[in-house]
Amino acid sequence: MAAAPRPRLAALALAVGLVLADSSIVVLALPEIYRELDTSVAGVTWVLISFNLVMALAAVPAALLARRVGPGRTAAVGLAVFAGAGLACGLSDQLSTLIVARCVQALGGAAAVTAALELLPATVGSERRAAAIWAGAGATGAALGPAVGGVLTELVSWQSIFLIQVPVALAAAVPILAVAKHEAATGIIATEVRRTGRPHLLANLALAMVSAAIAAALFLLVLLLIEGWRLTPIGAAIVVTAMPLFAILGSRIGPLVPDARARAAAGAILVAGGLAGLALLPKAEVVLTLPPQALIGVGLSLVLSALTETALGGRSPQAIHGGWTISARHAGVVIGLLALTPIFTADIAEQRQQAIDAGTAVILDSRASPLLKIQLAERIEERLEGEKGRVPTIGPAFEPLPEDPAERESVLVLRDELQEQLDRGATHAFSPSFLLGALLALLALIPIGLARRVDL
Amino acid sequence: MSTDGARRGQILVIGSIVVALALVGIYLAAGGASYAPEKSQDPCQDRPWRDPQGLQAIAEQFSLSALDGAACQLGVTRETLARALATPEARERFSERYGIDDEKLAKAIRAGLLRAVDDAEEAGALSPFLAGPVRGVIEEIPLDRAIELITDARSLLGNVQGFLGPAGELLEEFLP
Repeated sequence: MAAAPRPRLAALALAVGLVLADSSIVVLALPEIYRELDTSVAGVTWVLISFNLVMALAAVPAALLARRVGPGRTAAVGLAVFAGAGLACGLSDQLSTLIVARCVQALGGAAAVTAALELLPATVGSERRAAAIWAGAGATGAALGPAVGGVLTELVSWQSIFLIQVPVALAAAVPILAVAKHEAATGIIATEVRRTGRPHLLANLALAMVSAAIAAALFLLVLLLIEGWRLTPIGAAIVVTAMPLFAILGSRIGPLVPDARARAAAGAILVAGGLAGLALLPKAEVVLTLPPQALIGVGLSLVLSALTETALGGRSPQAIHGGWTISARHAGVVIGLLALTPIFTADIAEQRQQAIDAGTAVILDSRASPLLKIQLAERIEERLEGEKGRVPTIGPAFEPLPEDPAERESVLVLRDELQEQLDRGATHAFSPSFLLGALLALLALIPIGLARRVDL
Repeated sequence: MSTDGARRGQILVIGSIVVALALVGIYLAAGGASYAPEKSQDPCQDRPWRDPQGLQAIAEQFSLSALDGAACQLGVTRETLARALATPEARERFSERYGIDDEKLAKAIRAGLLRAVDDAEEAGALSPFLAGPVRGVIEEIPLDRAIELITDARSLLGNVQGFLGPAGELLEEFLP
């Protein structure tokens, strides 16, 4: 074939990693986008949902297209579309244009990812190895996405997340262009078109459920850290990096257990346990998110690899079945976000109100002077109004602090008590959604369990 | 699959269940199920007065009772009402959000004041001899006066005499 295997392999892995990172790379930028584009939490989740929805719908047709017109051409055009749409995303100044550009980006991404799975066996010489590289590149991209997005958002801007993808996507397309030219010149496509078998329904169903749970874990944890506990995007990026780090540990455990069903079940149980842990955080402290993240990280590595392996195992052509796994995973993310967004936005509003009331009660019942109480009530009301429905940073409402030492001390106590109530409210607001995510992960055990008896 | 392979699979599944349950158990034991904001007390329920000493403390407790009574009438929490009365803008937002006009608010404040008199009497901070005339004065406060009073939270929370008008003067005269 036209391009040398090594650069082509690197380009294909980069393309897969880049596209699948895009499914999660904006998670840490969402609060920034939410503020800058003056939208709602429910509205901004569509920046994520739209991409995943189009990926879910387009993955299998894109795989079929790759087999009809040639995977080289499909991947090269897909990456070009992905890059162009990425540029449009970066230049968007309205939520609607950003969402449309994200949809186009997902179309290009679906073409690039599924065509890459068609090109990989010829590049590495084995379907099994190709599937492993493809899954590994995707998992690495998805794992690194949030951290990279968080760092770029804080150091540059949310737009830079998309703009930086343009040269990367184009660079990945260069070695693939040679394959595309070869296809055009010879009229030969990389693999022959064969009749495709039915997808592994149970494995793909379980993938969708687990992906919904994992999307919940990542999306909700980021929102809790940034919107609830007021961490910076970089701070939140560092915290959520724990999940992919533990996923690496999971990838070491996986090969020790040959039974894919056992790995899938264990992974789903760990993801459910981690999500339940996040639902039951006993305090608003970052360190307490680490044990649940450890379980989710190890669990997602075990369950995603086992289910993808099962969905692809012995099925041909791989690009089509790879398309089905992409479709199932992204459909799961969409279902998870659609199911959870209304729940947690309502919970945030309710808990915020309850926390503010609890804090106000502390002030009203305190022995501070009535004048001070009134001043504080006024300033808290101003802070609430200024934050437009978000959990406010309450510290500035207590400034300037009184000069009298005794009064100053009592004000500081009041401030801490009010902040404690806000932390409790912000943390508790996410509990039902985390629990629902845990339930989704547990429900995935049903198709995993059935897979032994009914292998579709 | 080999017996060893199946055994490893079983160990992995059982180990995962144990680890997941252990995490949930530890977080529950550390109070994870109850880590939530304190619930606001129902303003319609009695709230005992805390040992008021002197006119200022009585005035404060009186204001809090009045807030409870008014909030109970309006179906909101005492805290929400207190913040709503902090500034005229806050009151306007409150009116829009809950569909409560000034007249309804003034009536609720009047009802709250009457409850505050009851509470003060029960706490021994106001003698029955004085409570009767104070009630009479509150019932006679004109609507526009009540509205005028609630536009400035200082008169509600900070200066019970100002809030009560003639009743405040009575209090000043009769209380130690």
